[in-house]
Amino acid sequence: MPKKIRRKLSDAVSGSKNFFLGIPRATRNLYKEIPHQVKSFKEWIFTFRGSLTILCIIGTILIPLITMDDYITTILISFLIFSIFAASWDLLAGFTGQTSFGHSVFFGVGAYVAAAFVKMAGLPWFFSMIIGAVVAVLVGLIVGIPCLRLKGPYLALGTMAFSLILFNLFMSGELKDILGSTEGISGLPAMSEDLIITFLYILIIMIISFVILIIIIKSNIGTIFKAIRDDESAADASGINTTKYKLIAFMISGFFAGIAGSLFSLNSRAVNPSVFLALYSFYAIVMVALGGLATISGSVLGAFVYWVILNELFKPLGMWGTVFLFFPTLISAIILVIMIRFAEQGILKPALEHLREFYDFLLGR
Amino acid sequence: MIFQIENVLIFGTVQGSVLALLALGFSLVYGVGGVLNLGHGAFYLITCYVFYITSRVLFINLIISIILSLIIAISVGGVIYLALIKPLQGSHIGVVIVTFAFAVFMQEFVKVIAGIKPHYISPFIFGSIEFLGVTFPIQFIFVIIGSLILVSLIGLFISKTKIGKSIRAVSQDREAALLMGINADRILMITIMISALLAGMAAILYAPTSAITVDMGWGFLLSAFAVTVFGGMGSTSGCVLGAFIMGYAKTFCSVFISPTLATVFPLLVIVVMLLVRPQGLLGKKEV
Repeated sequence: MPKKIRRKLSDAVSGSKNFFLGIPRATRNLYKEIPHQVKSFKEWIFTFRGSLTILCIIGTILIPLITMDDYITTILISFLIFSIFAASWDLLAGFTGQTSFGHSVFFGVGAYVAAAFVKMAGLPWFFSMIIGAVVAVLVGLIVGIPCLRLKGPYLALGTMAFSLILFNLFMSGELKDILGSTEGISGLPAMSEDLIITFLYILIIMIISFVILIIIIKSNIGTIFKAIRDDESAADASGINTTKYKLIAFMISGFFAGIAGSLFSLNSRAVNPSVFLALYSFYAIVMVALGGLATISGSVLGAFVYWVILNELFKPLGMWGTVFLFFPTLISAIILVIMIRFAEQGILKPALEHLREFYDFLLGR
Repeated sequence: MIFQIENVLIFGTVQGSVLALLALGFSLVYGVGGVLNLGHGAFYLITCYVFYITSRVLFINLIISIILSLIIAISVGGVIYLALIKPLQGSHIGVVIVTFAFAVFMQEFVKVIAGIKPHYISPFIFGSIEFLGVTFPIQFIFVIIGSLILVSLIGLFISKTKIGKSIRAVSQDREAALLMGINADRILMITIMISALLAGMAAILYAPTSAITVDMGWGFLLSAFAVTVFGGMGSTSGCVLGAFIMGYAKTFCSVFISPTLATVFPLLVIVVMLLVRPQGLLGKKEV
């Protein structure tokens, strides 16, 4: 091959342009960073955060294994699913600054597509989950393109409009044959015979999602997201194609929200249009605000507080009247207001600081 | 065919009147404070349920229960401003999240008080009327006339009274209005109260024609937002014009094409308007 052509080719591949085969540079650098991250994994386990994370994971695995109680396992499963959902919202709102109030769109689309593929095509749950997430990515593109023109509060209302519209579409009687109307899709096969196995599947998917999300946040692309959040025009001026990266944020966030949604429908073995309600977007916002905005791991804590502590606190009262079943949402709305008003950083950071003091005390430092 | 067109005209006018009431308040609040109030649908919801409880459960006199529910809506608007919007005015997103939380709170609160089942409010006068061969409930006449009176009163209020002039001043230039000695915070509070009053009046006039459910606030919020985007953010006349065009277009869709398209219509309007003419029909171009 003549030298000139070779040089041209190499220029085309690694030239000054920001894109390679349609993949942005920063995404490509992501792969380079993974070995480095794996190498430091051993050291990371023995740090404060690492040991805490491992302890939490072991605790989450052990609780259902020891108690062998289906009820506790079910609660933990919904906690895991919604922590993925909350983290996906955090990536979009906390890190990129694109506050979406229509996150239930991705959740619901993932749920419906996965359920449809399992029910109609008879695919195994894992593939339907991936298909659901990929369709949610496409929906992220469709929602993202018109909404990119909007900023701040308009974006919030614009995305919320999408979720309301999808809810109406899926509820409508005219499209009953295609979308299933109020009945939705039901009678899906269980993910696995044993509930504990299902729990472990979901736990593994959740851990993988969080590792990927944290790698994304720590890589170049995460820095670009933060730059867009902090000052969009400055990011634009320093040569970042903000439109493209905002779309990428929408797509990544849609992917994980789609995974959460498909796990939700596969686990509950049925899905109905209520997954598109603004309430589900509200869940994500509450969980992230509880854990702390722009902390991916905070959404786990938020999901835990909401699904395990708040929900279970009022379950026993449900015996006296169904009224008490609405209390968790009612109270979390108040909590959300208080968090936004007085403690914008959430409870994760202060809690970690206190734990850290205790940890140092234990090690005798 | 002619019968259907008459249908579109009458039902479209009713829809347009309700939308005008809802969107007018929403747009005023946006114009004055730059606040997108996601709790706007909740004002409608609260008034509906207070009206339902006072008139159908406690059997209070109709006029008194109307006044009571309006007072509650207005005071909720005032409290929302003082407790939620005022402390967070610096961050737009904080206001949006907090008002969203307020809307969810109200929805759940209503669920606790009245249950999830749909309820019915009896119209002021029972019976129906025939006009141009179309039969419709007498309540529709109340909706059209009430909306007409209220919208013109608000128009007069904004153009003639001192508070109305301050509202216009703050929405045109907040800093200059502050320098002229106008208390912008108080004006925003009054505007939010007016918007709560308008949403409440829409609820009292329109709710008796159909069932009331706990999640209806969101649909009305979306319509109000769509009309505001269509007519132009913060433009009063654009808002009223947009409301009627939207009302006719929605009923036209549901009569001639399909009712499902009519529910999707607001979104189409929002998307198309934002792509083609972001400042809205009669809005000023934002810098």
